[in-house]
Amino acid sequence: MPLTKRRLLVALGLGAALLSSAGARAQDALAGIAKAKLVRIGIPTDYPPYGFVGIDLQPMGLDVDVANLIGAKLGAKVELVPVVSANRIPYLQTKKIDLIVSTLGKNEERLKIIDFSAAYAPFYQGVFALKSTSIRSFDDLAGKSVAVTRGAMEDEMLGKVAPASTQIQRFEDQAATTAAFAAGQTQVIATSVSNIGVLTRKNPSLGVEYKLLLRDSPCFVGIAKGEDALLKRVNEIVLAAKADGTLEALSQKWLKRGTGELPL
Amino acid sequence: MPDFTLWDILRNLALAARWTVALSLVAFLGGALVGLVLLLVRLAGGPWLGRAVGAYVQLFQGTPLLMQLFLLYFGLAALGFDTSAWLAACVALTLYASAYLTEIWRGCVAAIPRGQWEASASLALSFGQQFRHIILPQALRIAVAPTVGFLVQVVKGTALASVIGFVELTKAGGMIANVTYEPMLTYGCVALMYFVLCFPISLCARLLERKLAMRTLA
Repeated sequence: MPLTKRRLLVALGLGAALLSSAGARAQDALAGIAKAKLVRIGIPTDYPPYGFVGIDLQPMGLDVDVANLIGAKLGAKVELVPVVSANRIPYLQTKKIDLIVSTLGKNEERLKIIDFSAAYAPFYQGVFALKSTSIRSFDDLAGKSVAVTRGAMEDEMLGKVAPASTQIQRFEDQAATTAAFAAGQTQVIATSVSNIGVLTRKNPSLGVEYKLLLRDSPCFVGIAKGEDALLKRVNEIVLAAKADGTLEALSQKWLKRGTGELPL
Repeated sequence: MPDFTLWDILRNLALAARWTVALSLVAFLGGALVGLVLLLVRLAGGPWLGRAVGAYVQLFQGTPLLMQLFLLYFGLAALGFDTSAWLAACVALTLYASAYLTEIWRGCVAAIPRGQWEASASLALSFGQQFRHIILPQALRIAVAPTVGFLVQVVKGTALASVIGFVELTKAGGMIANVTYEPMLTYGCVALMYFVLCFPISLCARLLERKLAMRTLA
């Protein structure tokens, strides 16, 4: 396994996490938020439509709206802290932020070091193509050209399920992958739903539609381990927003589709 | 989805460039100050102190700046010391720049023939006087080019501070590229801004070099 910068960062983050849990600084984040009337929330700023920047670099998007909603319900001012996938868990572990609302998926490794709320938004990677392209199962990808971002989750998934005759074309980043598909260089694109949202908005006449699901990984709010009071409060807020249709409305507003089934 | 005009991109990048400038200045000033002290320690401090400085140089040259920033910001916090992003960046950039500068300058001093030290010692000059009047003026001349080369690297290296939350030039460029989906245009502007920051430094260096050369001739 090559030691990439990102892996090293994650390893360091895990190290930092172990150190801090060894220190076992028992402290009630919820009480701290109530006292300071301030909640610090990590949000993405380079991941449209979940979190991106407006003309004056102010953050906006689905995650930002959810962060502000949680802040309002907690009765606290929200301090939005821009994070990226490499540093968001260290930020939480070292109590530099109180919550992560940053398209955070739940997995085994992460469950060991942080807690998760109920899911607040859908997120999935899938296979997309023009309406005129007929794809009903992964077998239909045989002989077709597929654009995918090198090393991304969807690249790995695609490698497992696509037939051997699929021509997988790998590009360096999401923007390049999207550009290749939009320019007609490939028939199919495997990417995240968020990226398709952007693609559709930039090229409304293209007529791209969802074909197959690669991986379903909804977004959860990340909370430091041991902050049970805060976790309970955030769960109340998320579930209330789900019940009264707020989450559905946010999903429609930013993703142009409903939340679907959100796991607890 | 917001629509960025070219003016919006340039305006936002220029604002973000303030952080790049601030971080670079910290690295220059902190690095030069600490680097000079370390150089003197290495020259005059005896074998043990010299070896300690050597180890310091190896430590900070041998580890990536990104990790130094990360460990100072998140690592110290995990141990219970709450460092601010600004403090962590100042300390990390100072440590990093000082390690390189002290090594660069040591090389420049070492390039001055031993005979210069011996001749000045034979005139009963103290270490301070030897360094200030005989060695420094000669070493300074050869130090200009490598020092400036390193400073230009530091300006570009400040981009790593985005890992601890600074929205400087590179980070702002990334954020804009991800909304506009025009990476060529955005990163082109970012590159241009770096050039605008770095080119004057190189220009100053050339002038300084010429001036120092003239003084030696006179």
